[in-house]
Amino acid sequence: MTTIQKIWRLRYKFFNLLATKCSECGFVSYPPKAACPKCGSRNIKEIKLPKKGKIISFTVIRVPIEGFKGSDPCILGIIDLGGARILAQLTDTEPEELKIGMKVEATIRKTAPTLDGVVPYVIKFKPSGRRAGIFTSIRQILGSKHVRSANKH
Amino acid sequence: MRNVYVVGVGLTKVGKLYDISLRDLATEALFKSIDDAGGEMPEAIVVGNMLSSLVEQENLAALIADHAGLRGITGFKVEAACGSGGAAFLAGYSLIASGLFKKVVVLGIEKLSERPTPQTARGLAWAADADYELVYGISFSGLNALVMRYYMSKYNVSREEMASWAVLMHENAATNPYAHMRNKITVEDVIKSPLIADPIRLYDSCPLSDGAAAVMLTSRDVARKVTDTPILVAGIANSVDSPDLSSRFELDSMLAARLSAEKAFKMANISPNDIDVAEVHDAYSITGIISIEEIGFAPKGKGAKLISEGSFRPGDKPTINPSGGLKARGHPVGATGIYQIAEIAMQLRGDFPGVKVEGEYGLAQNIGGVGSNITTIILRS
Repeated sequence: MTTIQKIWRLRYKFFNLLATKCSECGFVSYPPKAACPKCGSRNIKEIKLPKKGKIISFTVIRVPIEGFKGSDPCILGIIDLGGARILAQLTDTEPEELKIGMKVEATIRKTAPTLDGVVPYVIKFKPSGRRAGIFTSIRQILGSKHVRSANKH
Repeated sequence: MRNVYVVGVGLTKVGKLYDISLRDLATEALFKSIDDAGGEMPEAIVVGNMLSSLVEQENLAALIADHAGLRGITGFKVEAACGSGGAAFLAGYSLIASGLFKKVVVLGIEKLSERPTPQTARGLAWAADADYELVYGISFSGLNALVMRYYMSKYNVSREEMASWAVLMHENAATNPYAHMRNKITVEDVIKSPLIADPIRLYDSCPLSDGAAAVMLTSRDVARKVTDTPILVAGIANSVDSPDLSSRFELDSMLAARLSAEKAFKMANISPNDIDVAEVHDAYSITGIISIEEIGFAPKGKGAKLISEGSFRPGDKPTINPSGGLKARGHPVGATGIYQIAEIAMQLRGDFPGVKVEGEYGLAQNIGGVGSNITTIILRS
């Protein structure tokens, strides 16, 4: 339930997994910062993080916050992308399958609608090499609610 | 810099206080702190609060001061997420230490029961990184769950060991008349309670509470006049860390807890071994456990094991959270830091109405975010 302005403003950073790397001490930060969190230097440059990494922690949100009710089980992970970590939603997977150390890769998926009712796309991570199956494709096109009710009939 | 003393405290019951408004709750704590300080009227009020936007009310200092018959005094609100109380205390402390004021009330207040839980949970998540984390629907329980799983895996800590924190907190709160939850629980109750964000279950988590707490701070000359048991603010420091979890230097440590504690100990010229009683910020069991490690009460990775083996109980040095902590006393967010300070002050005066701990030095640690804004306060009798 963010705003469309925010998604538009951040689109380049989101889709390129843009982090900042300090030219003085080498510390890499995601989210990107205006100066190095470790040494304070403003001598930083933007780098693109690798799109593959491994899960170092994960959780499944059972009590969703306002605006995320009814979306698929909200699985969140912290992913080590080699030198930097990212917190992101995990997709195309089930909670039972998750393990620390599991290899994942970036993909583009819908997230909850913005306050203005627009459905934005963001980067999520899926198990490495997993091709989106028919179920996932239908879910992406119709939204999870339709798929759930279709399954019941 | 001038010495600053706590000379009066005022607490309301913590809980889902549906029938009491924000202004009435605040005024109850304010009047109690004034009465406890021998009727001294404050020249200024500093309000600690995070989410009064949930009840569509800002400008709290004016609202509360005016409602309480203090029209014309100085006042403003301080916000530092769940650490708002501690940060407001630092502001109030500075007003006296600078010599600008002689009598200041610091008041923490929160009304979380007004909205349905998903809305309140969303508001609390505003303390995280809105651009990079909230977009995924992260909740505060979720963020802490990520830390808890990482910690348990790294240090090989069992589910039972983690659960022992909540059991001790409920035991301590049983005799605290202000506590939100006074029921005793078992390790099994914790492990079988509903999942909130795995591995965090209901009893690994604090309740969402309403409550207000106030402390009257004065200069030395006023303190001498109004009380025989002035409590000195011996050390105080605040430190910030990243609001986002991903860019932390380490996932299982809290830099701001370590830095603010080190600075506060240095200011008070003591070490962690000198603390007799502490109230630490256990919004989740994992938060409390990492806190006691960062403050220096337990070695890294050993906090949960020590609790489960029976350390830090009433009578131990230090006794941790005799109030029952956030877990059982409750977590009226912006008021929590002031509850902790008031509870420590009462312990050192000898008049805390629950589990009593004798001692000379007490510590209060109040956290905002997942460890991103932390104030550590050391009080001396």
